[in-house]
Amino acid sequence: MRAKLRSLIGAVLSAVLMAGCGANVTLDPVTIPTPLIDPMPLSVAIRIPAEFEHYVHEDEVLGREKWRIDLGRSNAALFSQLFEFMFDDVTVLGPDDDASTLPIDALIEPSIDAFEFSVPSQSKTESYAVWIRYRLRIYDSAGDMYANWPLSAYGKSEQFGLTGDEPLKRAAILAMRDAAALMIMNLDKSTAISALKDRPAATLASGRSTGATSEPVPGEQAAQQKTRPPKRRDVTLPPPGPAAGPAVLSMDADEDDKRDPVPEGSTDD
Amino acid sequence: MTEATFSSGRTFTAGLLALALSGCITSRVEDAREGITGIEAGESIVILAKSYHLGNETEDKYINCIEDALSRGSKGLRVIPHKQFVDSLFPWFEPRTAPAETKGLPKLMQRPGVAERIAEQNVRYIVWLDGDTDRVAGGGSLSCAAGPGGGGCFGFAWWQNDADYNAAVWDLKGLESAGSVTADVSGTSFLPALVVPIPLIARARAAACKGLAEQLRTFIVDDPQV
Repeated sequence: MRAKLRSLIGAVLSAVLMAGCGANVTLDPVTIPTPLIDPMPLSVAIRIPAEFEHYVHEDEVLGREKWRIDLGRSNAALFSQLFEFMFDDVTVLGPDDDASTLPIDALIEPSIDAFEFSVPSQSKTESYAVWIRYRLRIYDSAGDMYANWPLSAYGKSEQFGLTGDEPLKRAAILAMRDAAALMIMNLDKSTAISALKDRPAATLASGRSTGATSEPVPGEQAAQQKTRPPKRRDVTLPPPGPAAGPAVLSMDADEDDKRDPVPEGSTDD
Repeated sequence: MTEATFSSGRTFTAGLLALALSGCITSRVEDAREGITGIEAGESIVILAKSYHLGNETEDKYINCIEDALSRGSKGLRVIPHKQFVDSLFPWFEPRTAPAETKGLPKLMQRPGVAERIAEQNVRYIVWLDGDTDRVAGGGSLSCAAGPGGGGCFGFAWWQNDADYNAAVWDLKGLESAGSVTADVSGTSFLPALVVPIPLIARARAAACKGLAEQLRTFIVDDPQV
């Protein structure tokens, strides 16, 4: 009995002492409720880059508190679930999977541009806050970049418990949920992804003269393109992630050298 | 002395002690009615916090307190837990997407499944809470020391907490604002110490919760026939 009491006191004391020294936070996979939306009639593939699936953020707050936040599979789980709800047909691809053989209208590749957080000792409030800046790169069926949408999500949780682990986890989960809400509301508005439905691949090559752009294809242009015969090209996906640069798909390796880099769009989020 | 007399005397002493050991609280609760209210059997209400995207910092504890206070007792209202309501209508009541004004309600109701989900839960009123409890002043000094022969504290400290909350009531039947209830509570706590510290705590947030919940219940249930 006495030993139990001693270990309990020890645990409480160490938790109190650890509260001012940062922490290791690991998120469990996040689930979202079924959204009240009509799914878009598109067939999409989502490619989860390796660094997106195992994102870890390390930071030192005010030079004292060391924080390590491991988002683990939570982002991959969130985006997979969300897109299952948002589109009629979804295929989830691994980092090295080839999308060229899939009969899809679009390929979506999410990534994280930045992760930031604040704790009460910084903000002088009783709140933990998390900001996540995601980026969605959308490729058409020909493998050309169609849209590039950065979106910022924010979550806040008040302090509870003895350490900062749980409130920070909660803030991160709320930020992810915020991102999900933002994508449901604005994905089509910001990227015009619905215009990719049955979009003929042949016109996409000619569309390259205007550049693979972060700006969505205007509706009229998309309508004109629909009148042309469909043609699908065989494409090979480049390795994912920011280290590989803008992921532009190509049939001809030489052609890649001549192509202008894709502008990083910053549409309104 | 009978046992009953002894027991009531003990309760009286405990009550007197509790009164003596609490700080000072000043409270003002008001309502502003914009329409006729009333609630029928089976109809429910939901308590939500205004979005933190708009800078609101209403505490979860306060929302839970209002929910408990409104649903408790023989005249308790049917309160849908806020998390259940928000999840059932995902993503339309998230901090980013929730309507900020009643004029956004008609559009919201047209979204697929929203009106049906609200009807399933028979939600008549949404109450939007705004505000928080802040420490606005404090002072004094208190020092404690301990040695082999014992220890103790000497000094005096005080602090003042202000709990300011506003509850905007939306009537989902008419898709309009029914009015609002506000609670402004100021509580000053004292901590005198002469060897042993004696805390005289003013629970401003708890007082604001009790006052707002009582007024809110009257506001929703009792129609003054304006």
